[in-house]
Amino acid sequence: MLRIKPTLLAVAVLASAQASASDDDLRINGFMSVGVGMLSTDDIAVSGFDTDANFSTDTVIALQISKQINETTSATTQLVSRGSEEYDTNATWAYISYAINNDTDVRVGRLRTPFFYYSDFLEVGYAYNWVRPPEEVYRLDAFSSVNGIDVTHRFSMGSTDGSVQTYFGRVNAPYTIGDEKYEFEAKNISGIVLNLNRGNFGTRLSYHRTDLYADLDPAGSRTLDSLLAAATSYGRGDDFDISGQTAQFMGAAGTWDNGEYAFVAEYTALRQETESVLDDNAFLLTGAKRFGTTTVHATYTSKRDLIEGDAIQKNLKKMAQLHKQAYILGARYDYDTGTAFKFELQYQDEKTVQGTDGESGMLYSAAIDLVF
Amino acid sequence: MKFNLITRFSLCLCVLLGANAYAEVAVIVSANNTNASIDADTLSRIFLGKASNFPDGNQAIPVDQTEGATARESFNEKVLGKNSSQLKAYWSRLIFTGKGTPPKESGSDADVKALVANNPNLIGYIDSSAVDGSVKVLYSF
Repeated sequence: MLRIKPTLLAVAVLASAQASASDDDLRINGFMSVGVGMLSTDDIAVSGFDTDANFSTDTVIALQISKQINETTSATTQLVSRGSEEYDTNATWAYISYAINNDTDVRVGRLRTPFFYYSDFLEVGYAYNWVRPPEEVYRLDAFSSVNGIDVTHRFSMGSTDGSVQTYFGRVNAPYTIGDEKYEFEAKNISGIVLNLNRGNFGTRLSYHRTDLYADLDPAGSRTLDSLLAAATSYGRGDDFDISGQTAQFMGAAGTWDNGEYAFVAEYTALRQETESVLDDNAFLLTGAKRFGTTTVHATYTSKRDLIEGDAIQKNLKKMAQLHKQAYILGARYDYDTGTAFKFELQYQDEKTVQGTDGESGMLYSAAIDLVF
Repeated sequence: MKFNLITRFSLCLCVLLGANAYAEVAVIVSANNTNASIDADTLSRIFLGKASNFPDGNQAIPVDQTEGATARESFNEKVLGKNSSQLKAYWSRLIFTGKGTPPKESGSDADVKALVANNPNLIGYIDSSAVDGSVKVLYSF
C-alpha cells in the first residue's frame, strides 16, 4: 500500500477535480507507475536496488494541470511524487507557454533538460517499453530539470516533419552519492535539439554546454574534497577544482518504428573541463516486436568512463573509473488503453568499479504503468 | 476491350465485397471548406498533431469521435495505422511535455457532423451513411 502524504499533490487533485467540472480550458492528465525490483546479489549496484524486494524506487505518481489562459498563452504544472524520495511532491515542470505563431512556442519556467531521446517523458513509464530507461545512458539525474526559457520551432519539408528546440537556464543540483552530499550548480546551461521524422524513421541530435560549479573544499572529508586535496599537493589543484569549468554533453539517436517492429539506437558523450568529473561515453541499442497486445523487447547498453591526461591525472582518475554494461530482456502487456504490465530481466555486468574489477548479477523487475 | 470489361467487372465486385465487409467511413469538412481532397499521409499527420494545415494552407483542427466508436477504431487502424494502446502511448509522450494534445473527443457521427459543418477549420470522420449536404467528403475508406 502506498503511503501518499497529504501534500501539495493531494490538495491539487481536490482543487482540480472541482475546477474541471466547470472549466473547459483546464486539462488534467496524470500518470502512475508502481514497480518492484530485486537484485540477485549485493555485489552489484543498480538504481538503488538490493536483494530484498524494493517497491519504492520505480514507484511514481504525477499529476499535470494545464490551463489555457487565452489563444496564445497557457500555464502548465506537473507535480511528481517519487517513492525514491519518500513521496515528497516536486514540480518537474512548471511553465508558461506562449505561442509566437502556429509553429513557434516559447516556454518560461521549470522545464525538463532535453538531454536524451526519452527526456521529455522520462518518468512516464506508459510511454516506453522498459520498466525504467537504462541508467547507463540515462544519467545526469541531478540535472534533469532546468529553470529557464526555451523556444521550440516546428517545421515541415515535404513529408519530413521536424523541430528545433533551444534553451537557456540554470540548474541547482544537490547530488548525493552514498553518505556524501554535494551542491552542484550548472550556470548558463544552454543547448540545442534537432528532431526529424519521416515515415517510420526518426533522428534526434543534441548539444548542451554549461559552466559547472560545486562546493568542493580541500579541507573537507568527501571523496572529491580528498581528490582535490591530493591534486593540490601535487600542485594540480586547478585541474581538479569545479568552479566554472565548461561541461559539454552530446547525444545522437535514431529510431525506426513500423508499428510491429521498433528500434532505437542512442549514443551520448559527456566532456568535462575539470578533471574531477570523468568524461564518459554511453550508448544503448534496443529492439521490440509487437504481438497484438504483447510487446517483447531486448536491449544492450554500456557506459565507459574515459581515462585521459598525463600520468598524475590518469592515476587519480583510475580511482574513480566506472565501466559497466547491461543486457535487458522484457515484455510489456497492454491490459487496456492506458494500463500496461511489464516484466523485465536485466543482466548487469560491471567491468570496472573505482578502478578495480567489478561483479555481475541479475535485476528482476515488474511494474504497472497507467496514464489518465 | 474485352480485358477492359473484365477489369471493370472485377473492380465492381471488389467494391461490392468491400462494402459488405465493413461500413465505409468518410473524412469530412464543412461544405464551406475550399479543399477538394486530401491524401492519407497529410490526413494522418493532421490527426497525429504533426501538421496543422489543410493542403490550401488554412488551419486544420482535427476532431475525434468518442473512444470505442466504430468509425474511430476503423480510422485509427486504417488511416493512422495504430491501435488504441499505441495511440495512447504516442499521445502520452506529447501531453506530459506540453508538445501536443490529442484531438478533442466530440461524440458520435451526428455530433461530429454538426461541429464540422459550422466551422471550416475542423476536420472529422463519420460513417458514410451519415453524410449530407452540410459537409464535404475529402477522403473515404
